[in-house]
Amino acid sequence: MNKIMYLEFERCIGCRACLAACRECGGHDAKERNYVEYVDFMESRQTYPMLCMQCKDPACARVCPANAIQITEEGVVLSAMEEKCIGCRNCTFGCPFGIPKFDFEENKMYKCDMCYDRSKHDIAPMCASVCPSEAIRFIDFDEMQELRRKRTQMNLIEGKKPAEHDKWQYVPEFFGVYSD
Amino acid sequence: MKQLERSFYSKTSMYSFFVIVLLFFSMWIGTSQFKHIDMALIGYMISSFIFAIGLTVRMCSWLIRPATHQVIKRSFKNLKTKERKKRNIKSIATTAFENIVLQKFIFKRGLYRGIQHFLIAWGCIGSFAITFGLTFGWMHFDLIDPDTYQIIVMGIPTIIMPAHGIFAEMVYNGLNITALMVLVGVIMAITRRIRSKDVKVTQRVEFDLFPLYLLLAVTGTGLLLTVLYTFLEGWMHPYMSLVHQVTVVVLLIYFPFGKLFHLPIRPLATAVPLNYQETVKVDTRACLKCNTPYSSDDQIEDVKGILGAQAFDLKLADGSYLSDYCPACRRRIRVMKQLNMEAPLGNPYDPVQTRNGIHISGFGKKRQDEFYNKATKSDSKQEERV
Repeated sequence: MNKIMYLEFERCIGCRACLAACRECGGHDAKERNYVEYVDFMESRQTYPMLCMQCKDPACARVCPANAIQITEEGVVLSAMEEKCIGCRNCTFGCPFGIPKFDFEENKMYKCDMCYDRSKHDIAPMCASVCPSEAIRFIDFDEMQELRRKRTQMNLIEGKKPAEHDKWQYVPEFFGVYSD
Repeated sequence: MKQLERSFYSKTSMYSFFVIVLLFFSMWIGTSQFKHIDMALIGYMISSFIFAIGLTVRMCSWLIRPATHQVIKRSFKNLKTKERKKRNIKSIATTAFENIVLQKFIFKRGLYRGIQHFLIAWGCIGSFAITFGLTFGWMHFDLIDPDTYQIIVMGIPTIIMPAHGIFAEMVYNGLNITALMVLVGVIMAITRRIRSKDVKVTQRVEFDLFPLYLLLAVTGTGLLLTVLYTFLEGWMHPYMSLVHQVTVVVLLIYFPFGKLFHLPIRPLATAVPLNYQETVKVDTRACLKCNTPYSSDDQIEDVKGILGAQAFDLKLADGSYLSDYCPACRRRIRVMKQLNMEAPLGNPYDPVQTRNGIHISGFGKKRQDEFYNKATKSDSKQEERV
């Protein structure tokens, strides 16, 4: 299997269906683990969905003093193990993308696990399965490559030219290559 | 110290050696020069030594991790600071009482889980205390006169009790009481593991289930021993005690390498009120961008140090680090960068600036060509400066 999560921030319509779906996922304890936020509320009502990147070498796991954040063999970075987590919140500050959430009452960190019970069996995570505008998609690697190519072409048509030193600003984000 | 360290294979082996020497010394005192040693417990004793070595090795490898090392280093530094004395004592006391004795945070995860964990935890700690006390000979009973027993701890005579009093019965049955606690807790835990679909998502047989079955085996065989000698006149008792010994040996050797190792590392939770957050949910450091308090200076310094020690380069162009921003701003920075909206005009770390000062709505509208020209021009200007 070779599926990835594909995000297109501009497609987000701010319906927050992904948050509701996340709350329904098994093991999420009725708390959402993803985000829908305004890019700049003063300028527009544009929102963006935000999930965990499932880093190959996660900073959150590296800054955890209790070694509580584990990575599955498929490459999914799991929430802190409840018995190990000491509740220091280092992960929330170490993460370059501000993803992990912290529950003060239960003294544990929780974060997006790509709905491990679903994606393990090749089923789209909850958020991707409900997104009406396809801002979040769970697609094949090849399909993603095709979309990225198209996106770059569109950028060129629009007149956004990739500068020599950073072409990456002009291709959309993809992450969580699930296995290879 | 350096010289001493060099006579050993490694630091860890040095510490293990000293732990063993210390244990032997305590045995020597407790058993008054090995006079009262209980030879029936020799198997338990040897496995307890292996347990102590395993624990030392695991503790050392845990402390070597850059993150743990940094947190421990700061904790010790703070513990030595006299001005923080009040805070130190308070944080140790509250963590020890609320986090370790009462385990409040687990009760907040659910009453069932709270009771289950409380029973297993205190049952195990109690059983370990009694077992180690007896195997290492730290305590033993002495008959003063035909009706009176005395408990001798480390060679010092302490409590005197009538041989058939209520207190004496409770002492003799100490292990039975703790075993019953563990048995109830473990059965609750296994039921939860079987019934709850949520925990099945990430549970692993060798990590989450094996220790439960192991504890079940230990308590089951241990309680069966009591049943055998009280109701069945010791039928099969010698064989059963051997089976029990085998299960305990497996538990002791498994302990430092599996899920149960979370017990010795739990006291690190003191580091949170000690170093980072004096009062829960009160943050002192403000985000560089939005000024919302999100953490404390010490914690961010630690996080930067840990990430730096592991070659994570999260420094931004203006010299600030990603951990200087609150999580919400960090998410926004990523999106701005991704959408190429990182304010081509002005400082990329300030709020978005538009070309004419008027904020138009959204990404949907096409921008004028001059916008892109201007952006590229300012880019090229920057390059020239570099």
